[in-house]
Amino acid sequence: MSSVLTWLQNLNFPTQIRESEWLFPTIETVHVLALVLLVGSIMTVDLRLLGLANRERPFSEVAGEMLPWTRRAFAVAALAGFLMFSSKALTYYGDIPFRFKMLCLLLAGANMLFFHSIGTRRLQEWDSGKAPLPAKLAGGTSLLLWISIVALGRWVGFTT
Amino acid sequence: MTMRRRELIGASLIERFCDWLSATQISVAFQSVNWFVPLVQTAHIISISILLTSVYVVSFRLIGLSKGIQPLATVAARLTPWIWASLCVLLATGMLLTITEPARELLNWVFRTKMLLVLLLAAILAGVQLRLRRSPEYWSESPARTRAGQAIGLLCVAIGACIVIAGRWIAYV
Repeated sequence: MSSVLTWLQNLNFPTQIRESEWLFPTIETVHVLALVLLVGSIMTVDLRLLGLANRERPFSEVAGEMLPWTRRAFAVAALAGFLMFSSKALTYYGDIPFRFKMLCLLLAGANMLFFHSIGTRRLQEWDSGKAPLPAKLAGGTSLLLWISIVALGRWVGFTT
Repeated sequence: MTMRRRELIGASLIERFCDWLSATQISVAFQSVNWFVPLVQTAHIISISILLTSVYVVSFRLIGLSKGIQPLATVAARLTPWIWASLCVLLATGMLLTITEPARELLNWVFRTKMLLVLLLAAILAGVQLRLRRSPEYWSESPARTRAGQAIGLLCVAIGACIVIAGRWIAYV
């Protein structure tokens, strides 16, 4: 593993990021801008599932409006995040908050798969009303995971 | 530049205020807990997520980049409480961070620019919301109004992004 990470961080662009004064903060800023929109949009969907916001609107309408933001913002945040990782791959790999953050991201992905396979069953029956328990659970789990991901991300900044 | 600035009474007053604030009991208490800043920053980021997403949803409708099912006035009315509530949490958490590290924020020109941008964005948002409340079709009544709405939407998107960018760069300037 460490030989792969050493190879990665010694590539041309990761080295440039590490040695430049402004490249890392700039990529980090793009990461923050994207994650802000990612978290804001996914939280809107989660809060609708939990019945804490947008109760009067069908779930499909809220999700249809917000999830395109989530997907695009995730793509940008992931790319910027990978570039930051590549500049100090060995350091991040050994960082405990970073490992927990990646674990939470995996769990958030698994939670999303769970929701789309089981949580959206009989969507027509509850689209305009209260979400059933599995969908509520998925929304609550997603909310907690994304808040944890933000907290862990901030923690990574203080430990690397 | 710094030498000249230090000679100015205003700057030295702020410097003295920072020294005083960072020596207060409450500031010292916050400084001594090493998880305090990351925790408050996390709450700050979650709040800016709610604020910026809400502002962008309204702005993209004004610009005409997104077409929702609900009319613009309904969208704006729905998001108004979220916008102002998140702004209040941002101010509160921002003040906690400033109390913890006064010089890092108050003596930083990026922080000062950020505060001006926040005031500007709040004023524009209040204006847009008030007009929509009085007349739901305000921003589509004439081609000129539509264009003005598009310009205001673009301005809000730009200011919102600049606020987040400035927020991150406080740490680097």
